[in-house]
Amino acid sequence: MNAVEIKGLTKNFGPKQALQGLNMTVPQGAIYGFIGENGSGKSTTEKIVCGLIHPDGGSVKLFGRDYTDADVRAKVGVLIEAPGCFPNYSVWNNMMLQAANLRISNAEQEVVKVLKMVRMEGAAGNKYKNCSLGMKQRIGIAMALLGNPVLLVLDEPINGLDADGMRIMREVLTDLAQNHGVTIVISSHILGELEKIATHYGIVRGGKMLCEMTAQELEASCRTYTALQTKDMNRTKMLLGCKFSRVEEDEAGYIRVYDMVQPEDIVTYLYENGILVSEIKTDKISLEEYYIDLMKEGR
Amino acid sequence: MEMKFEKNTFGARLSSMLKVDFRRMFTMRLVYIMLGICLVAPILILVMTTMMDGTVTVDPQTGVETTIEAFDSTWQAISSYSDAGMSMDMTGMCNLNLVYFGAAVLVCLFVTEDFRSGYAKNLFTVRAKKADYVISKTIVGIVGGMLMILAFFLGAMLGGVISGLPFDTGTAGVSGIVMCVISKLLLIAVFVPIYVLASVVAKSKTWMSLVGSLAVGMLLFMMIPALTPLDSTIMNVVLCLAGGVLFSAGLGAVSGAVLKKSSLV
Repeated sequence: MNAVEIKGLTKNFGPKQALQGLNMTVPQGAIYGFIGENGSGKSTTEKIVCGLIHPDGGSVKLFGRDYTDADVRAKVGVLIEAPGCFPNYSVWNNMMLQAANLRISNAEQEVVKVLKMVRMEGAAGNKYKNCSLGMKQRIGIAMALLGNPVLLVLDEPINGLDADGMRIMREVLTDLAQNHGVTIVISSHILGELEKIATHYGIVRGGKMLCEMTAQELEASCRTYTALQTKDMNRTKMLLGCKFSRVEEDEAGYIRVYDMVQPEDIVTYLYENGILVSEIKTDKISLEEYYIDLMKEGR
Repeated sequence: MEMKFEKNTFGARLSSMLKVDFRRMFTMRLVYIMLGICLVAPILILVMTTMMDGTVTVDPQTGVETTIEAFDSTWQAISSYSDAGMSMDMTGMCNLNLVYFGAAVLVCLFVTEDFRSGYAKNLFTVRAKKADYVISKTIVGIVGGMLMILAFFLGAMLGGVISGLPFDTGTAGVSGIVMCVISKLLLIAVFVPIYVLASVVAKSKTWMSLVGSLAVGMLLFMMIPALTPLDSTIMNVVLCLAGGVLFSAGLGAVSGAVLKKSSLV
């Protein structure tokens, strides 16, 4: 069974069409990376799934039930934009309030458990308004984890987190999905981080789903390239550009050849033209590069 | 594999929502400030009007003389007699009826804070039934308003003792005063649903909910002296109870519909 199944979802905000028949399928237990440009409809979709805004058309099913079903919605954890906390309350009081909202019987133990998971147990007594942005994000995630949710909807949860915070978040989310069967829908612009945990992807543009794929499918569709460095990079680039169809220089100072070619053929070709290769390697393009390519193709 | 979900009954949902709202209400500093104001205001009103009793002020432009009249009895701080009609003088206006405006401040700030802080996102994600929210907010608002009325009542008693005003029940009698206080307590159930509705419409715009609540409240304010005079009878109690039930049910349904149809963030 799919955890989330969306068909033909439409939503207009005045004259602006935020969603234009979006379809989305999130299998149970998946970490679904929901990717798209700003204004592409990610947050709108997530807010509809959480019942915070109402769609104009289409259907949304959570675990085979309508998204308005009170029983299934009681098991959804959410962090959309910023955590919904009262600024003058302590972190502990905010957490206890949400625990009461979720009717958690052993609330105190549960709150301690989730605060420990995000390494925030030491900040329980702090007033929420005095917490840093990174701390607030962690609190928001802890709050979403309360009550053992079966579906987590996280919108930009790693924004403002430091390297350690990101690592903790990766560990927590991976553990939840792999060991507890929690389905996670996570949207983020930090694609490098998403790539490390996501098992499925959905790429949305202009309110429509451009493509959905598993991490394995993405791996297969990410092209292999050969990256190399020489002493005369300008001439190398010119020579390779004459022989191969796509040659680019990357941010790290390597020349990339995207054509399906053996590295030794490139080395031989350059040697014949009087250039010695100092370093050569083959690699695959990252999710970020794949995404950028996909967006370029669409334009 | 089909997933099993725990069945959430209406009673369980409402009781947890009430727990959350009571917890929030009584951890808000505002509640204690409002209760403090309700306690102190009648003391100030009674002491100051007694001190200034008989003072004549003259308008320098028109030469019109106005004599400040004090309350004749402490009970007038609770309400005026039915024969006073819609009296607009100070003793007719400066009484417990002012609490209904105070309750607007309490309820509007209480409800709109959910939306301003973003807490509504957490709340409505796990609570698909908007009726739970509206019912709970209405009940908690009514309790808050009733506590404000009781605080004002207590303040009036203290003010009466301090200012040395008589506790003469007059034509109202003890039963009339008891009925009057019960009527006033029940009448809060007419006002709170209005404030809750204004707040769910305004959401995070507190100023808008306050303006809306006070504007509608002002219209109904004129009717309070007639509905809850000092010499109230069981009829007044029944009228206020019926009004409270009708307003709570009717406007509660409208508030629920507003939440269902509008964006919650």
